[in-house]
Amino acid sequence: MRAATITAIKSFLPDAVLSNQALADLYPNWTADKILEKTGVRERRICAADQTAGDLAEAAAQRLFSTHAVAPDSIDFLMFCTQTPDYILPATACLLHARLGLRQDAGAMDYGLGCSGYVYGLALAKGLIESGQASRVLLLTCDTYSKLIHPLDKSVRTLFGDAATATLLEAQASDAPRIGPFVFGADGTGAKSLIVPAGGFRQPHTADTAREIADESGNIRTDDHLYMDGPSVLNFTLRQIPKAVEQLLALCQSPLDGFDAFIFHQANAFMLERLRRKLAIPEEKFVVHMADCGNTVSSTIPIALEPLMEAAKAQRIMLVGFGVGFSWAATSVTLH
Amino acid sequence: MSAFYEGLAEIFEVEATEITPQFDLIAHNWDSLAIVSTLALIDECFDKLVDGSVLAKCTTVADVERVVGMAAAA
Repeated sequence: MRAATITAIKSFLPDAVLSNQALADLYPNWTADKILEKTGVRERRICAADQTAGDLAEAAAQRLFSTHAVAPDSIDFLMFCTQTPDYILPATACLLHARLGLRQDAGAMDYGLGCSGYVYGLALAKGLIESGQASRVLLLTCDTYSKLIHPLDKSVRTLFGDAATATLLEAQASDAPRIGPFVFGADGTGAKSLIVPAGGFRQPHTADTAREIADESGNIRTDDHLYMDGPSVLNFTLRQIPKAVEQLLALCQSPLDGFDAFIFHQANAFMLERLRRKLAIPEEKFVVHMADCGNTVSSTIPIALEPLMEAAKAQRIMLVGFGVGFSWAATSVTLH
Repeated sequence: MSAFYEGLAEIFEVEATEITPQFDLIAHNWDSLAIVSTLALIDECFDKLVDGSVLAKCTTVADVERVVGMAAAA
């Protein structure tokens, strides 16, 4: 069969480092050790003021092209997952298409998902490849949440970092699918739990939306900034994700130990550990890869997958993305 | 209740013996991080998911125990 296969992954992190000590200096009663203990994050990378998601994604793609000797004109389709595009319009994917020198008959599109976006992208790429519409798909992810976060909102600033990834998917002859099956889900009743309230057309920026407010925990933000209702997001995750994993196992007709590794969206180490214990996943198979980059939204799963890809060992891996939306998706991928 | 009390002691960074039904949450930094941690602890100890906004209104451990008692299984 013609099977969509992940053949290369490369990530790119911006230069600037935001350390726990720098954050502890801003937040009374917090120490660098406490931030590490509560979040699992030692440092995050932050893009420069004039650096955009398009810039980081281009750098990740160029790194993939040069490392794996991929000719830009061999790409048939570019997908860019971002919630922080360079412009309201046009799609950043069209700009990236030009900057990367793709063929004019190669497709390009943005899609606006966050933490679940990588798994959705794999599903779309598989559809394009296995239906014969494309042979090589370049899936890019990048979010620059640092531009959406108020400097004095520790509830989100301690967690999120900026990053981009590039994944190459190709058609390969195989006896069995290399990606899938998939479980998808969405619950828009949770939209307000993780949101930037102002700046879209529902609530444009005004002087009022730029007014600073302090919450009960002492965090400061405006309606122009990212807001996260942590307990609500945790509730959603603990309620929905174990179900999604059970559904995927049923579709795969496989027990949990049929997988060599598990990569869940790297939200924060605390939430990951709770999910791991709830699902009884062995610690040695459960990948936690966020200490040096934080929660990078749509890029967390490919960042954690990149070292496994480079290990050049046949592995069956479960990927589970979940978060902003609420939105979630899970799948199985076979590497090498 | 002991695993639950031990977990609460860890969240509030106090000795387990200090956790009693009368333990004052507000005096011990009952912020969103403590609420998230308590929500996860309740799920772990009782297999129940409680609403964060309801939890936020609790002022003592006894209040939290009442919320747990009213919650449906996860």
